[in-house]
Amino acid sequence: MTESDVETTDGTRSTEGVGRDAAGLSETGSDLAVHLDGITKRFPGVVANDDVDLRVERGTVHALLGENGAGKTTLMNVLYGLYEPEAGRVVVDGEERAFDSPRDAIDAGIGMIHQHFMLVDPMTIAENIALGNEPTKWFGMAIDRDRIRSEIRDLCDRYGFNVDPNAVVEDASVGVQQRVEILKALFRGADVLILDEPTAVLTPQEVEGLYDVLEELTDQGKTIIFITHKLEEATHAADAITVLRDGESVGTVDPGQTNREALAERMVGREVILEAESEPVETGEAVLSTRDVTVEDARGIEAVSGIDLDVHAGEVLGIAGVDGNGQSELIEAITGLRTPDEGTITYDGTDITAWSRRRRIENGMAYIPEDRQENGLVMPFDLVENGLLGSQRSPQFAAGGRIDWDGVRDHTEDIIETYDVRPPDANAAAQSFSGGNQQKFIVGREFERDPSLVVATHPTRGVDIGSTEFIHDRLLELRREGVAVLLVSSNLDEIRSLSDRLAVIYEGEFIDVTDPDDITEEDLGLRMAGQRPDEETHDGPDTGESQ
Amino acid sequence: MRNPLYRMQEAFARRPLAAALGAAAALLLGLWLTPASWQTATLRLAVPIALAAIGGIFAEKSGVINIGIEGLLIVSAFSSIVVVNWLGDAGATLGLTNLWWGMLAGVLVSVLFALVFAIVCLEFEADQIIAGLAVWLISLGLAPFASQILFESPNTANVARFDNVTVPVLSEIPLVGYLLFDTEPQVYIMLVGAVAGWYLLSRTNFGRWVVASGENPKALDTAGIDVHRVRYAAVLLSGVFAGLGGAGFALGTLGTFSGAGDTAINGRGFIAIATYLLANYHPIGALIGSFLFAGLNSMQDMLQTAGYSVPTELIRTIPHMTVIVVLVLVGRTRLPDAAGDHYESGED
Repeated sequence: MTESDVETTDGTRSTEGVGRDAAGLSETGSDLAVHLDGITKRFPGVVANDDVDLRVERGTVHALLGENGAGKTTLMNVLYGLYEPEAGRVVVDGEERAFDSPRDAIDAGIGMIHQHFMLVDPMTIAENIALGNEPTKWFGMAIDRDRIRSEIRDLCDRYGFNVDPNAVVEDASVGVQQRVEILKALFRGADVLILDEPTAVLTPQEVEGLYDVLEELTDQGKTIIFITHKLEEATHAADAITVLRDGESVGTVDPGQTNREALAERMVGREVILEAESEPVETGEAVLSTRDVTVEDARGIEAVSGIDLDVHAGEVLGIAGVDGNGQSELIEAITGLRTPDEGTITYDGTDITAWSRRRRIENGMAYIPEDRQENGLVMPFDLVENGLLGSQRSPQFAAGGRIDWDGVRDHTEDIIETYDVRPPDANAAAQSFSGGNQQKFIVGREFERDPSLVVATHPTRGVDIGSTEFIHDRLLELRREGVAVLLVSSNLDEIRSLSDRLAVIYEGEFIDVTDPDDITEEDLGLRMAGQRPDEETHDGPDTGESQ
Repeated sequence: MRNPLYRMQEAFARRPLAAALGAAAALLLGLWLTPASWQTATLRLAVPIALAAIGGIFAEKSGVINIGIEGLLIVSAFSSIVVVNWLGDAGATLGLTNLWWGMLAGVLVSVLFALVFAIVCLEFEADQIIAGLAVWLISLGLAPFASQILFESPNTANVARFDNVTVPVLSEIPLVGYLLFDTEPQVYIMLVGAVAGWYLLSRTNFGRWVVASGENPKALDTAGIDVHRVRYAAVLLSGVFAGLGGAGFALGTLGTFSGAGDTAINGRGFIAIATYLLANYHPIGALIGSFLFAGLNSMQDMLQTAGYSVPTELIRTIPHMTVIVVLVLVGRTRLPDAAGDHYESGED
């Protein structure tokens, strides 16, 4: 019992609950690995979890589904000992526990894989896996590296992982880094693994690989709690789904007995249209054109090799591709963050290849960057200051060299309200918002710039379905108004439903440009893996499509 | 141009035997070509720089930039002289010679200052640079002030210095024996300290925690290790190393403490910071880097003694100019990601 249990405002409930699960079996008689009972966690001004119950059976994948800010991560941080709840009980393996720190949770067999990986970049994979739990030799005078390596090898053999323990983490791909995180938890003897939005950073192929890993883990008796806001993932991977909304649990369902629409409604609290409708629109002149654009990356390797593209007014051109095939470099060249090594970029009929970034912004080019924390926001600044970014010279906010902060504040508050940024606090620093809410804010700022071209990379990455729906609608509204949209996304559903034309990029070249309705999901996956349309065979790599 | 020390590290990693032989040959040639008095002076002048640099590596690798290391050198040098003066030059107290009591006192005072610095930075979330400057400025004022009270002058009295300790047999090794095995205790401490620092940082779990604490403290926290405790330990360790450097320099090389101007330490703590940046936080690299600056320093002393009419002010700038030039040209130093940032568990 923690002190907070005694002082709870919800005292009746928590005293009632004491010892109910003493035998390790719940009333239903099933074997619970984790039982959270009436968890309440408050932050100043917000109730993040309000009397939430969660029962997770051993050897299953349990999805925790909810929108951004629904309290999923908070609940798991309580289980992992990062937060102390104001009320409620944490029962692990039938024993009531009070975790003061992650160390306690780790000792109780709980491992957490965070959304932003908790890895030390310059250290090796082996060092990261063992961090904090290093076996030592010579009376603690040295790390027993041989033992670490052999234990990692055993774990890899057992669960079918393939990682090189001597590789440095910053050189490893995101998929490998995630496996390192899972290995880290297993190395500490975790029986319950919490995965916080594990697919947010993965390519479709890597997601498929993750599902295999989860299956292997549960087959061997591990229990998985899977935090997600994506319906497909919950229905595809989970044995049970608990839905959270506004910090409250709205029930646990069996994925076999429900459908996506019903789940979405439960999650958002109203009916949701899952597929954005993109009706044909009359397209106009080419707003953006590139001719033979070639870009070298930082190492001097050609990342973009002679790309020609045209984006017309009132048109969405989608670029699909596995991350790292040159889309980032292409977008940076178009937005002015990088100078192309060859080729020209034309905007509204003018050659803008040599234009500065500022001049491009001032001429109506909006940009939703790939890495929101690096390029989209200044993390320690509040939202008002971030709302000004890019407009710091516009006559609307900075007439006569003086910034009209009241005007900026009004504008920011409009964005917050329209784009449902939570919590709605314009004075809070950008870094205090969750990733999805940061993204909503950036999208709002860029869309409300009155642009004639929107360059959007992964505009809904990490955003919940309610807001995704809104962002999609707004994007299509801009398109109707005659704005040209260049869209890069690794979400195949998104890019297929929004794009009027779809280009597939592979190793810096467009492999195919097509109408998204004329290509099957399967073929699209093959194109992304580098197969050109004229070499049709169907034994290529997995497309990653799960439905 | 790339960092020559960094390139050396890479060469050692790729072809260890050839690189070691090459380095040894270059070293022996250098030793054969240069006067022995210059070599000995260089080693002795390297003591405060090398030890302060190794201490600074631990603090900064853990995420706490300790630019107060100059201040730690000053207070440890001063207090070691005071204690020896108080106990008496010769003789021993409680079975330990008075010089070693001085050494101990210097280290203790330095650790005490480091502790205050750590508390201010870690508990009260003070800006590390400002707090570090405060440690330096306080030391810079306090040592001459205390000296004025105790000795009625900013300069302390003279005390006895450490004698040479000659290691039998090893000191007979041609070319290097006289240099490495017939020298003063503080030089031994420096050589052993560099190897021990490297071992601690790269081969023990504490060392890995220090690195993780400076790169991604949240990763260390979620791995169940208390970040503050690791940072306290690292900052206190920087106090130990700087204390050994300051007291060793005072008792082995100077035999007195001059509090005038920039004091007897004269910016060596800041040169130490440049040295470890140059060495990309490698303790052995910092040792080699300290030879570079100490070598220039002793060359300047020799030129002055030889009566060359080069303005001393100009000569004095040589080490500092080298620092600037080297740091500008190098640019391969990788600062720990979280250096200078405060970390509090449970905050996002």
